Amino acid sequence: MPAFIRRYLALLAKEVDQLRRNRVLLIQLMLPPTVVLVIFGYALNPKVRDLRVGIVDESFTTESRELIDALTENVNFDVKHVYSRVEEAEAALKSLELDLFLVIPADFSRTLERGQTADVQVIVDAVDANTAQIAKGYLEMALEGYNSGNIAGAPTGARRRLLLVNATHPAPPPGVPDVQSAYIYNPGLVTSWHYVTGVMSIIMFINASLVASALAVKEKETGTIEQLLMTPAQTGEMLMAKTTPVFAVMMVVLFLSLIVGMLVFGLPVRGAVWLFALAGALAALAGIGIGVMVATVSKSQQQAQLLTFFVNPPLTLLSGATSPIENMPDLFQKLSYIDPLRYMVTIVRGVTLKNAPWSALWPNLLALTIFSIILFSISAWRFRKQ
Amino acid sequence: MKKILAQAMKEFRLFRRDKLLILLAVLMPIVLMLLAGITGTLRLRNVALLVYDYDNTPLSRSYLETYGASLTFRMVPSMPRESPERALASWRGRAALIIPLNFERDFLRGAEPTVQLMIDATDSNAATALGNYADSLNTAWALKSGIQRPPAKGVVLEQRLWYNPGLSDRVYFGTGGLGLMLIIFPALLGALTTAKEYETGTIIQAYASSLTAVQWILGKALLYVLIGLVEFVLCFVLGLLVFEFRFPTDPTVLLVATVFYLLAGVFFGMMCGNATGNQSAAIQAVQMGSFLLSLLLSGYIFAIRNIPVQIRWLSSFLPATHYIQIVRNSILRDVGWRTSFMPLVLLVSLALAFFAVNVLQMRKMQFKG
Repeated sequence: MPAFIRRYLALLAKEVDQLRRNRVLLIQLMLPPTVVLVIFGYALNPKVRDLRVGIVDESFTTESRELIDALTENVNFDVKHVYSRVEEAEAALKSLELDLFLVIPADFSRTLERGQTADVQVIVDAVDANTAQIAKGYLEMALEGYNSGNIAGAPTGARRRLLLVNATHPAPPPGVPDVQSAYIYNPGLVTSWHYVTGVMSIIMFINASLVASALAVKEKETGTIEQLLMTPAQTGEMLMAKTTPVFAVMMVVLFLSLIVGMLVFGLPVRGAVWLFALAGALAALAGIGIGVMVATVSKSQQQAQLLTFFVNPPLTLLSGATSPIENMPDLFQKLSYIDPLRYMVTIVRGVTLKNAPWSALWPNLLALTIFSIILFSISAWRFRKQ
Repeated sequence: MKKILAQAMKEFRLFRRDKLLILLAVLMPIVLMLLAGITGTLRLRNVALLVYDYDNTPLSRSYLETYGASLTFRMVPSMPRESPERALASWRGRAALIIPLNFERDFLRGAEPTVQLMIDATDSNAATALGNYADSLNTAWALKSGIQRPPAKGVVLEQRLWYNPGLSDRVYFGTGGLGLMLIIFPALLGALTTAKEYETGTIIQAYASSLTAVQWILGKALLYVLIGLVEFVLCFVLGLLVFEFRFPTDPTVLLVATVFYLLAGVFFGMMCGNATGNQSAAIQAVQMGSFLLSLLLSGYIFAIRNIPVQIRWLSSFLPATHYIQIVRNSILRDVGWRTSFMPLVLLVSLALAFFAVNVLQMRKMQFKG
């Protein structure tokens, strides 16, 4: 057996021993793909529900009650309270007991009887812009349904009545194109798939970098790095031995998170698993590279951990794992191309949800490979320099 | 009191020597808040829309123009001979609009021509939004081309969007980001310094000294709360400049809440440090316990009520939940003590609970030693 392999194996045995004894680190490695993934999948839910609605009905007639029924029929609305005065509803909105309230004026039914347009006021707490927008949309749709069904003379065919039951949109008159939306890859519109695939990639990357930096800096802190440097082992061998166990554990983590995704969230795997594994391996290498690089510039674990904390969030935010990249300002969209995590996220989603063709996957794979080679080489070079 | 100050001074001297740490502690919150606030928007724009116009008539082109003119969609030509499924699978677009042959003929005949929109639903939230948006563009086109009369309006909704009339995402993420930044760093620093004492063994000196557990804890916490206050001021100024923060008329409740929030963060961090006695494990605990849970469950991204009931209760045990609410109350809603009183009480009790755990941890150690 050549000497370098023997030395590598000896160092590897040492690292494996150390890692095995380090219970905390093992927990640290195993917890994210299981617990965190599940919490993420369940907690991140953009579906707005249970909107608390208040009502000020100054008209108090059959017509006004019909309108209220039509507007609040939506399961997402939860009518909390009927107020007799606007001031009370305002106070309730201010003290966060309500998300929105409707004010129906006293002359509501009289105006309608005269054939005029009646105004109904709605006041929304718009601090959460997303929720406010959705609430607004619900109300507008319900009102459209109410108007088209309520006004005398409005055409009512069989189709129209059917749509009114859904209280979404009134049917367009003949001739108007009908948009049929087909939601492919996720026809059931399961929200968790998007986040689970994103978080899976983040975990691979961040965990690899955190653990690698912790291990690399520990030798420095305890002073054992000098002992290591005095051994006949080359720095390259040392680095390899140090990262091999982390790498192996990360691969276990990768498949663990895939299994959790499949079992808990019913995540489909439509593409080739080996591509998923390859992308995971490359991401782990890139993560380890960043971790070791951080470790070489910092003097203590404290600094190393803080630095990884500094490096990782931007990578996560720019990767498109949680929010779509198209939404970001142009500069940030361009920056996202130098984020290795972006390619990992793309590949993971391409393999699991989309079964993307090879012609679309290889550029991402190539980019990820280049990044991991560069990051790993820089870290090897920095490691040697110290 | 003097002993507490002495302990704080000692911490300060240690902290001052670490230039990198100072830089990170001050710079990081600002950079992160900026990034999180800017990238974290939920509104879609510039979505690549693949166009398959098999009709290719003046009418179909005018239909397409409606989509092209919207800010949400950006039209992308389709490649010849490539099926929409394959183009979507290759990320060439997020949706594909297919206009069938005879679109114009059917339209003129009065039949409803069907236009298909294929949407990549890997991001189901965005997909739903796009589907709804296409529906409204369709109606808009019908209105514009005069074939559909606007619905006879019987009732008109007059909308008042309070506190955020422009429906800007930035104010929402900015205020949430402020809360998030102020929980991460104080907790992290608290955890690191406590765990370090265990690692280097200097904790024994603390036991041996005449300091009581309470004095030791408060002395350590004092410095990190002060650093946190500096971070608060910096982040707040950033908020005023970038995230459309408004200066509250009554800032007292915000200030009181900030102090207790920082205390809660530092105590939580020290608790992790005490429990693990190992810097890297302590960091992991803080990352899980304060950063990740706060990010997910405090109402930073999505409203707390969207979280399933089974795990929603967790959010009441997070200081960030209450603090972010107070921040939004003060900065955006400009409502004072009356609305923020309950969250403040909960925040203070959480801070006290973390403190109590710290004291217990220290006592236990001291007897064992």
